[in-house]
Formats: sequence, structure tokens, C-alpha cells
Amino acid sequence: MARFKLAQVKVSRTALLALAYFTYLLFGATIFQMLEREAENNNRNHFQLEKLHFLANYTCLDGPALEKFVQVILDAWEKGVNPSGNSTNPTNWDFSSSFFFAGTVITTIGYGNLSPSTVTGQVFCVFYALCGIPLNLAFLKQLGKCLAVHLGRLERGVVSFVPHKVQQALAVSFFFFVGSLLVLVIPPLLFSYVEGWTFGEGFYFAFITLSTIGFGDYVVGTDPDKEYISLYRSLAGVWIIFALGWLALIFNMGARVMEHVVVLTHPGFKKQKEEEEDVSSSKPEDISKI
Amino acid sequence: MLQSLASNSCVRLIQSHKSTWYFVSLVLGYLLYLIFGAVVFSSVELPYEDVLRQDLRAIKKQFLMDNKCLSEESLERFLKKALEASNYGVSILNNASVNWNWDFTSALFFASTVLSTTGYGHTAPLSDGGKAFCIIYSVIGIPFTLLFLTAVVQRIMVFSTRRPINYIHTRWGLSKPLVAIVHATLLAMLAVSCFFLIPAAIFSALEENWNFLESFYFCFISLSTIGLGDYVPGEAANQKFRELYKVGITVYLILGLIVMLVVLETFCELQQLKQLRKMFYLKKEKPQDRLAIVEHDHLSFTTVSNRPSVHSEDKTQTFVSVQTLGSPNDDPLIQ
Repeated sequence: MARFKLAQVKVSRTALLALAYFTYLLFGATIFQMLEREAENNNRNHFQLEKLHFLANYTCLDGPALEKFVQVILDAWEKGVNPSGNSTNPTNWDFSSSFFFAGTVITTIGYGNLSPSTVTGQVFCVFYALCGIPLNLAFLKQLGKCLAVHLGRLERGVVSFVPHKVQQALAVSFFFFVGSLLVLVIPPLLFSYVEGWTFGEGFYFAFITLSTIGFGDYVVGTDPDKEYISLYRSLAGVWIIFALGWLALIFNMGARVMEHVVVLTHPGFKKQKEEEEDVSSSKPEDISKI
Repeated sequence: MLQSLASNSCVRLIQSHKSTWYFVSLVLGYLLYLIFGAVVFSSVELPYEDVLRQDLRAIKKQFLMDNKCLSEESLERFLKKALEASNYGVSILNNASVNWNWDFTSALFFASTVLSTTGYGHTAPLSDGGKAFCIIYSVIGIPFTLLFLTAVVQRIMVFSTRRPINYIHTRWGLSKPLVAIVHATLLAMLAVSCFFLIPAAIFSALEENWNFLESFYFCFISLSTIGLGDYVPGEAANQKFRELYKVGITVYLILGLIVMLVVLETFCELQQLKQLRKMFYLKKEKPQDRLAIVEHDHLSFTTVSNRPSVHSEDKTQTFVSVQTLGSPNDDPLIQ
């Protein structure tokens, strides 16, 4: 009975954390949307006016005028406005895009194809990231642990069927393989199919994203000539979070395997480490906070 | 953020090889690795950039030639080209042709932003070779960076946090949690003023169009490794001492990252925060579960982070003395 209660508490805490996490994401998306939309509109209108003006005068076009014009275009581009096409292009700060932006900020990916251009947006971005990054870390850690626990259950299910050790190891690696295929290989293939990238480009995008480098030279859902389903970017955001959790799990397992190897190769190390573990049991999350 | 994922193994690796010699060679190797990356990026990307630049110039000349009867289509085409170029960090403006995006110092800057996972994206590799190298470079380089940062931060922590706290604790007999909180606050304030406010003032003076807030925003976005890339220093058309400036920024970014980690870890060692964090993490699995998993995996240790530390106060103290004994120049004050 007591154990049952404990399990319930555990689940509710995880759920609470997940709920807080998603609420935080939604909250950020809303605020960003509110703050940035108007500025974006102004930028867009300004640019359209400039373009019309240019077109009216193009019969006597000279070098300096062109330079000026290009400068204006580039400024607009850096603020996230695509000058080709007309003003009915989908807005950069609609809800699903704002959601995507909030996700890229707190995972520290930071593509930079979108960035707040108002003062309030920038200030909010600073504080949003200040609270959001630790939260994101706690969430990912929890996600990795949950995945590990469920994997452990699955594994025990397999173990009861196949008693042989080699087969067990094979089964475990098979699960890892399938998981990695589902999380790390198929989504890039899908993205490259939807966006018209080569598979190399899709893989590059996935890598730059999941390593949280985030150049922003390839970003899903930004082509103005394409019609995307409305949830496309949000789905991409969900993929990013789960793939990061999966990577956390793999890193965890990798660390364990590495330790195992170290223990095997240095027989004296284990005993010493046991002592150290006692001493440093409050230690391991020391560096783990960025 | 990847630091968190690989930290446990790093900490252990470092604890098992705790000698200064390893540490120095690690630092040197790290610097060499950065320079190596800069060289390769520079040599791979520079020719391609040159081609792209000439291409653009030709297009522009062509455009100027036939602009007497300019149509909307040709304008759109021109714009598309211009924007693609600016995506890759190539400007087609006349006055911007002085700076190369892939000269050595810029490539160094680029490599450091890749390894710290900041990734501004103001320049990104254009050629397929550059992209492939970028992936391989960061597969090796990012764990390496983590190892480096962990090692540096561990060493700094001894001098910046543990020894001062212990010293004040033993000298004036103040309670340890109180000292820790005051110390952490002071350290955070010092770090914010040295790595946010002062650099922000410098940037707002050096960069033409940046005000103080924008410079502060840049500092934050960089040191949190978000790296949006909407503000990147040293990209102005006629930047004086561009190379020196870029190298200075690279050094600032790495130092700032280390200091941020030190401050964060100081806060993480606060008892109150530890309890707060413990609330959210899973308690240890039911023993038989854990045993089963561990046995079948042949992984004969439990994850330390799950272990509920009951007497963590005492344990921290013991750990501190172990750490100090291992470090090269012992301070007799602590013993």
C-alpha cells in the first residue's frame, strides 16, 4: 500500500514538472507573439512601401539607389521578413512559430532566423531564458530517466523469454537501434522530404539542432513558397525535445558502459571508486547545470 | 546544455587522473584543437566564398547594365539571389567587400562558437565538405569541450568557493549555509558586473548601432549558449583592428562560459537548492528493479545521482578535504 502511494507521488511530480514545462512553453509563446507581432507588421509594411517606391522609379535606376535598396532589403531580412512574394505571406510570429521560437531559446539551440526586435521582446527573452534553461535541463534529465526505466521494464520482459546472455545483449542493442532509428534517422528523412533538401542536408540539420548549436541556415517550415500543415513546426519542436531526451539516455548509458570498461581494465579502480562514491554522493550534479 | 548529459563520466574521468600534467596538456590540446579547426575551416571555405562573391558581383553588373527596362521578375530574381547570399553571410554591398567571413580569426571565432554550441549562424559552412567537416569536428570537439570545461571549473571551484567558505567558516565561526549563500550572491554579482555589464558597456562603445541594452542582450544570448546571431560583433563594414577584435571576443566567450559554470555550480552546492532539486528527481528505483537492470546489463554500479544523500552536509565536507589533498599546492589552512 505504502509503495503504491509512493509510486503515485512520483508520477504526479513528474507530471507536474511536465505540465509546468509545457505551460511555460505556451506562456512564452503567447508573450512573444504579443510583443513581436506589431513590430513585425511595421517592418513588413515599411519594406513593402520601399519596394513600391523603388518600382515606381526604376526607369532611372543608378548604383547608389540600388545599394540603398539592397541595404534596406538586407535589414528587413535580418529581422525575419522575406521580401520576395507579397504581403500575404504567413506571419513569422503566429502561435506555432512563437512556440517553436520559445523552444529553441530554452533548449539553447537558438537558430536565429527569428529573433525579438523590440526592446521589450529582448528583455523578456533574457528573463525567459534565465528561468527556462534550468527548467529545460531538469525536464530533459527526468525524460531520460523515465525512458531508461521503461526500457528496463521492457528489457526484463524480454529477459523472461530468452534466458541466454548473448541474446539478451542482442535484444538490448536491438531496442537501442530501433529507438535511434525512430528518433534520429526517420525524422530527418521526413524533414528532407517535406523541405526538398537532400538527405545530407536533412542530417546536417538534425545534427546542428540536436547538438544545440543551431546555426539557422536550415530551419524547418520557413520556405515561403511551400504550404505547411499548421502543426508542422510544433511537431518539429516536440521531436526536438524527445530526441534530446533520447540523447540524454544514450549519454547516460554511454557513461555507464565507459565506467564498466574502466572497472574491467583497472581492477583496483572499483574499490577506490566505491569509497569515492560514498564521499561524493552529493557531488554528481555539480557541473551538470548548463 | 550538453554539459549536463556527459558530466558524470567527465567528473569521474577527471577524478581518476588527477594530475596537473594531464591538465596542462589538456589545455594545450584544446587550444591546438581550436586552431586546427580554424585552419581547416578557413582553407575549406575561403575558395568557395570567393567564387560566390565573384558570382554575385557579375550578377550585379549584369543587373546594372539592363536596369533601364527593369521588370518585376528580374527584380525578384535579383532579390532572391541577394538574400541567399546574405544567408550565407556574403554581402553584395560595395563597401562591405573588405571583410572576409572565413579569414583565420573569423574561422577561429566560428570554431569556438561551434564547440561551445552557441552557433550564431551569421556564418555557416557553405560547401558540402565544410558541412561534413563541421559534423565530425563537433562530434569530437563538443565532448572535448565538456571535458575541458569540467576540468577547469573543478579546479577553479576549489579556489573560488570551497576554500573561502571554509576559511570564513573556521575563522569567524559563522554557520556554513549562511556563508555559502552570501558568498554565492557576491560571486554572482561580481560575475554579472565583470562579464555582463562591463563588456556590454565596451560593446556599446565599440559597435556603432548597439545601445547598452542590445549589448547586454548580446552578452546574455552568447554566454547562455543560445546564440541567436541577430547581433554579432565585429561585422561592421570598416571595423578597425578586426582580427584583434575577433580574437578578443573568442577569449571573452570562453572565459565567460567558464565563469558562468563556476557561478552555477556555486549555486548548485547551496543546500537549499539541492533540496529543491531533489524534489523533482526520481527517487531510487525499487531495489530489486535496479538489481535486475544492473545485473543484466553487466553494469555493476548504481547511478550516483539517484542516491538520496541524507547527511550531505558532512559528506560535502569530507569531499572537500579529499579534493584539497589531491590538488598540487595544499593550503594548510583547511587541514
